[in-house]
Amino acid sequence: MSDVLLSVQDLVVEFPTRKGILTAVDRISFDISRGEVLGVVGESGAGKSMTGSAIIGLIEPPGHIAGGSISLAGERIDNLPRDAMRKVRGKRIGMVFQDPLTSLNPLYTIAEQLIETIRTHMKLSESAARARAIELLDEVGIPAASRRIDDYPHQFSGGMRQRVVIALALCAEPELIIADEPTTALDVSVQSQIIDVLKRLCSEHRTAVMLITHDMGVIAEAADRVAVLYAGRVAEIGPVKDVIKDAKHPYTKGLMGSIPTLMQDSDRLTQIPGSMPRLTDIPPGCAFSPRCPKAFARCFIEQPGCKVHDGRDVACMLYDEGTAL
Amino acid sequence: MTDALVNIENLSRVFDVSKPWLNRVLEREEKKHLIAVNDVSFNIRKGETFALVGESGSGKSTIAKLIVGLIKPSGGQITFDGTNVATQGSASMRQLRSRFQMIFQDPFASLNPRWRVKEIIAEPVRTFGLEGNNMNWENRVDQLLEIVGMSSRDGAKFPHEFSGGQRQRIAIARALSAQPEFIVCDEPTSALDVSVQAQILNLMRDLQDEFGLTYLFISHDLSVVRHMASRIGVLYLGRLVEVAEGKTLFKDPKHPYTKMLLDAVPDLEMTGRQRQPVEGEIPNPIDPPSGCTFHPRCALANTRCKSENPSLTLHGTTETACFAVEDGRTSV
Repeated sequence: MSDVLLSVQDLVVEFPTRKGILTAVDRISFDISRGEVLGVVGESGAGKSMTGSAIIGLIEPPGHIAGGSISLAGERIDNLPRDAMRKVRGKRIGMVFQDPLTSLNPLYTIAEQLIETIRTHMKLSESAARARAIELLDEVGIPAASRRIDDYPHQFSGGMRQRVVIALALCAEPELIIADEPTTALDVSVQSQIIDVLKRLCSEHRTAVMLITHDMGVIAEAADRVAVLYAGRVAEIGPVKDVIKDAKHPYTKGLMGSIPTLMQDSDRLTQIPGSMPRLTDIPPGCAFSPRCPKAFARCFIEQPGCKVHDGRDVACMLYDEGTAL
Repeated sequence: MTDALVNIENLSRVFDVSKPWLNRVLEREEKKHLIAVNDVSFNIRKGETFALVGESGSGKSTIAKLIVGLIKPSGGQITFDGTNVATQGSASMRQLRSRFQMIFQDPFASLNPRWRVKEIIAEPVRTFGLEGNNMNWENRVDQLLEIVGMSSRDGAKFPHEFSGGQRQRIAIARALSAQPEFIVCDEPTSALDVSVQAQILNLMRDLQDEFGLTYLFISHDLSVVRHMASRIGVLYLGRLVEVAEGKTLFKDPKHPYTKMLLDAVPDLEMTGRQRQPVEGEIPNPIDPPSGCTFHPRCALANTRCKSENPSLTLHGTTETACFAVEDGRTSV
């Protein structure tokens, strides 16, 4: 794609422990263009959130980026000094986390938190910042924003709090928003409202969104492209429609089959035997090989790289050239 | 109905959420009550899976706790196989109690971390004195572990050695160990990843076929409910708004709230259907709206909805509590 905003190349995140080095993110590569929503799905421990944290430079020590590069609009941001990174974070990359209650300070009103954030990143007077704050709350769909702005977080419901968090992320008109499980703590009816807000903002402001979630349904509704992660590696990246309707990687296929749907009747769900390996004992070769119904000898020895196949990237030996099916 | 295993009649539960006495006197405030479950009636037939769905605060879990007797009802009756649960003395309650079990949402919190798995699973057996002779219970535990797809060696381990899915299997083995007829499952898979969720749901279905179990299945996830349930009750603010056969509910939802809920579920099929944007949020249960509690969010609400409270009436095979459905209105 031409208008690439964020480019992650061969990102590796490692955690040194007493038992050796744990690789939480293992050579992940993807791009996000302006105005695009990239969904990142995977089960717990697949490295979804870790990838998000790596991009905003907030990996908890002793974890660190051990390889690869992250570039925002062509500039490397993974090796910036802390002060420079602080200016990127919040200003150019906004963040929305899972639990809206812990992302907001309970002791300050919404107005104080918004105005502080706005004035950190923009040269605005107190009153201009307040006006902008009200505008932002309006934009994310909080009714009677000018009155509610002086409320404390506990006076808002869960869905409204998540809207406030989105407004906070939007303060400095970021180019990229990283939304880490933004709807997981919310009920379905509220979830669909929040997804609508994110989608609308994305198209109106040409903001790129990295939407991290474990819920394939949310991805289907909101994302343009999707990256499926497994054990810290990319299994498949492609347009949402292709990946959902016609998954290539055996893991994605299993994952899609295991989701009960509202439309189809099925007596049994497809199940993937076993569970995702812990980071301490990732099998050699393809990480999915012990659970894969189609695994053959090579899968247990060699680690597959991402290959373009049928309009998407798949990391699977089945689609490697020279392998007889 | 004669084949009802569990019969719930006019069940209510009110929680006192008032401030302490002195504050109330100083601030001149009335006592505050939260009606978590309001006049709920339904029955669960032998061998079926009855599901309760609803958003947070709709009273799903409170009903589960009421049925297994973890909290006492403020009004109404729960009858299990013909006997009223509330009026039992402790000895006969104990007997009755061994016939129903519960599986909880969080397998990290529901298993005692200091007990070995075999002790956890054997606890109901020993509590209810079902072991027969003492030599036998270890065999029984091995058998149960195999039934839920684990190995008998796992019995000697501690819960922390297992993943979430395996822990939920242990919780299921524990529930099965007393040989219950009825299992209340409160969000059994919402703490699990989808691929593991599929394993647990399949297991629960297999066990139902094998042992003829009856489930009360509580979930907020409509697709899971559709997959599991034979009949479904939809809760809104502590009231049942619709009770229908599983398939009918999804094909032909009657109540406006059910329609809204179904519409809000993300569409995995990518049909690109036009969705009705969801209006508003679930109101504060301490101060619920007058009349039908759904009327502030309902497109079909008229003056009657604002003052009177609809009760469940039968339409086809579906029971619905809605004046608009009763009158056959499709607009205001």
